Amino acid sequence: MEYKLRKAEPRDVPDILRLVKELAKYEDMENQVRLTEQDLLEDGFGDTPFYHCVIAELKPQDASEDVKVMGFAMYYFTYDPWVGKQLYLEDFYITQEYRGLGIGSHIMRHLSDLAMKTRCSGMMFVVAENNESSIQFYKRRGAEDLSQEEGWRLYRFDKDSLVKMATPPEE
Amino acid sequence: MANYILRKAEPKDVTDILRLIKELAKFEEMEEQVKLTEKDLLDDGFGDHPFYHCLVAEVPQEQQSPEGYNVIAFAMYYFTYDPWIGKLLYLEDFYVMEDYRGYGIGSKILKLLSEVNLNIAVKTRSSSMHFIVAENNTKSIEFYKRRGAADLSSEEGWRLFAIDKEDLMKMTAK
Repeated sequence: MEYKLRKAEPRDVPDILRLVKELAKYEDMENQVRLTEQDLLEDGFGDTPFYHCVIAELKPQDASEDVKVMGFAMYYFTYDPWVGKQLYLEDFYITQEYRGLGIGSHIMRHLSDLAMKTRCSGMMFVVAENNESSIQFYKRRGAEDLSQEEGWRLYRFDKDSLVKMATPPEE
Repeated sequence: MANYILRKAEPKDVTDILRLIKELAKFEEMEEQVKLTEKDLLDDGFGDHPFYHCLVAEVPQEQQSPEGYNVIAFAMYYFTYDPWIGKLLYLEDFYVMEDYRGYGIGSKILKLLSEVNLNIAVKTRSSSMHFIVAENNTKSIEFYKRRGAADLSSEEGWRLFAIDKEDLMKMTAK
């Protein structure tokens, strides 16, 4: 079984959405995915991309088979005011039957190469505290749990709170 | 102390931005961890592709700090992407110099950021602002909770991880 890793292109948007939903389903949150293919297209492949994707694609065995996208990593660049650019890993998922084959490791290496090339000083991401296998996957590669070591907690203002804080619309 | 203006940072502000980053780091007892230079901030914030944006609060001469500073607060933010809902505004650093606190400058900055966020939202389908707070920073936690912030670490069990440069380099080796 041969596969290759490549940068996502506009035509990959249906597969990206499919995999985003598969990962959300794995987290029991499938109905929370509001994004559409149109959104992903505009946001990832317009003048200013808000995200980037690496795709893992299965090479077909013969001419009659379709190419199949069975894994992806979605990332973007963030900024740490102490050390500068960081690569932020947002989503990372391999379809179940293709796990355990080293594709995830390969993607991590690819992302590390990218981080070095773009002069990032680190890679950051969040993991659900009950996702033991992912935590181990990352810790084996040197990841530190900053929530534990430095006490950081992730907060959010949702739209309602933002609207309440913002200037009320003119009458 | 009533007079101040809030504005988008400009290239000339990088000196003040770095100073305020260091002041905030000092407040967190991490001052020697700041490795960024003014040049980095200039290249990264004011080049073809800005990796961050800043709002600054500036006071007139009469209200400048004892050391002669006019820029007395800043907020650093950038845009992230949630694969379920799209673009988000991420608030990275937010600091008002001690002598200028309690005048509503922080609230005003947050308000402006909410509006920046919603302007994006008008063109897109949602908006949300994310940020992290140290769990022992009770005052900041209260400041944000009063304004409706939810602790996702608590509610959804998210934990923040980092892989530093050394370990990234280990992964790049074949």
